[in-house]
Amino acid sequence: MSLLNIKSLRVTFGAFPAVDGVDLQLDKGELLGIVGESGSGKSVAMLALMGLIDPPGKVTADAIEFEGRDLLKLSPRQRRELIGRDVAMVFQDALTSLNPSYTVGAQIAEVLKAHLNLSGKAAKQRVVELLEQVEIPDAANRANAYPHQLSGGMNQRVMIAMAIACSPKLLIADEPTTALDVTIQAQIMALLLKLQREQGMGLIMITHDLAVVAEMAQRVAVMYAGQIVETGPVPALFDAPRHPYTNALLAAIPEHNKGAKRLSALPGIVPGALDRPAGCLLSPRCPRVQPRCVAERPALESGVRCFYPVEEVTHA
Amino acid sequence: MPDLLLEASDLTKHYSVSRGLFKPKATVKALNGVSFTLAPRKTLAVVGESGCGKSTLARQLTLIETPTRGSLKIRGTDTATADTKALRRDVQMVFQNPFASLNPRKTIATTLAEPLLINTPLSAAERKERVEALATKVGLRHEHLRRYPHMFSGGQRQRIAIARAMILNPGIVIADEPVSALDVSIQAQILNLFMDLQDEFGTGYVFISHNLSVVEHVADEVMVMYLGAAVEVGDKRTLFTSPLHPYTRALMSATPALRKADRRERIVIHGELPSPLNPPTGCAFHKRCPLAMPRCSEEVPLLRDVEGRQVACHAV
Repeated sequence: MSLLNIKSLRVTFGAFPAVDGVDLQLDKGELLGIVGESGSGKSVAMLALMGLIDPPGKVTADAIEFEGRDLLKLSPRQRRELIGRDVAMVFQDALTSLNPSYTVGAQIAEVLKAHLNLSGKAAKQRVVELLEQVEIPDAANRANAYPHQLSGGMNQRVMIAMAIACSPKLLIADEPTTALDVTIQAQIMALLLKLQREQGMGLIMITHDLAVVAEMAQRVAVMYAGQIVETGPVPALFDAPRHPYTNALLAAIPEHNKGAKRLSALPGIVPGALDRPAGCLLSPRCPRVQPRCVAERPALESGVRCFYPVEEVTHA
Repeated sequence: MPDLLLEASDLTKHYSVSRGLFKPKATVKALNGVSFTLAPRKTLAVVGESGCGKSTLARQLTLIETPTRGSLKIRGTDTATADTKALRRDVQMVFQNPFASLNPRKTIATTLAEPLLINTPLSAAERKERVEALATKVGLRHEHLRRYPHMFSGGQRQRIAIARAMILNPGIVIADEPVSALDVSIQAQILNLFMDLQDEFGTGYVFISHNLSVVEHVADEVMVMYLGAAVEVGDKRTLFTSPLHPYTRALMSATPALRKADRRERIVIHGELPSPLNPPTGCAFHKRCPLAMPRCSEEVPLLRDVEGRQVACHAV
């Protein structure tokens, strides 16, 4: 049985579909990468799963099953119990996600109190254990520090400690290293991988950095304008992308253009709320566009949402 | 040598910061003796993590601040003695965040014409002509000129910011993380624009970035900085094929790569950047360095020529 099964998730803000029919499955202990540019709906889809979309945003789906239970059919109270304990999330900017007026220890203890009913000495001890698990040096003292006294990398470690406090079965990391320096990014990635392996968590990694996904994930879903346009195992998808968008994204990375004077760039930008094309969402930017693409919207078939998938080009 | 655009020798900037009412002031050594030269049509990339002094360097080069020590020559004229007003025209800057660097109350035409209004005796009609000609070159359409910044996407705003920097036809453009706020496909468009403008106008770029794959694409020469000092300086090809300084190597190995062939052996460095308020004695990197020896904590290594580039390390 899969850990998570999302069927045709839609999130709309007014008439604008930020997420437009997303299907996702995740097995126990699997690492899925979701990549896409800003505005592709990758974060909104995961916030919807966590129940963090506020009105006027509207979430609809055929099913959001977690371990076989449909989250949409749970009462708000049951759902709150599950979210935060079995499903946890790490956000992009740790400093703005933490409360500046409480020590980091108190904020981790709050999670323990709410979900495991731990308090007092037991909670304190567990907080220090957790901080040690995320490799914060001098954990007992750092538990009494306020977020502003810690660096960005340390705050992100605190966020991770908070997320794994209840040994979740699924961890969602939304751009966990985007705000960090490269050497710190490598440390945090190694830490996430280590925890995932030790605890057998499912891990969904949201990022715009294709290289991060290529190094870590087992499977990847590429999103564009609220839809999954291509999904498949790593490294096969990166070696031979079939959707023109994935192909263009890979081609735009300097690493693929070694020695070339110009980068191959995809013209234009992701369509916004007012300029959604009627046909395929990529059609105004696609180099391989055909009359059919402008008239009709393709469906996701055998891992790719395109009428005329790329066949021959490889990036291996 | 009058044909060099920039000659910096031993540039140093110390800031004095208050630590509280009754405590003596402390000195932050943001920049410690950096030297380099820049020729026309060349790009010098400055690489390093946050806090390494990249942006302080940019502020010295653009004459926003005067260095504490050391000299800076622009086209052979010493900035300490000359009238800097004329020199300022020749050094322009592109900032990281195009959402913050454009005046929201001015139309694009006004923003682009302002440098001409201040610095040249051109008539309104001539200014308009120059603005329109350059706007076309950076990929803006005619009707865009009457619009305001909020009507543009990040990539287009960065095009506007680049046009504003180029309108006086400067010899030198300092670009401080110009693509790090942009998505991959947009990043490629902007990097191409930088290269095209350099080909056409022969501008010299100082390109500040933390993204090594971008640097590898645009740079001719690379300077790696750590805590206010250059640790390795050299030709791009030499530096990327055989990095010598342990920090350069750690930085390169920490950068994720798409293809297996491009991945370097991971050298994980522990800990974080030390505070510039209280830098370690000797080599600034020795507390995190895998090659540290007793000598490193006592003696500051100086840049010396090793295998075709300059390195500041006792161990190589």
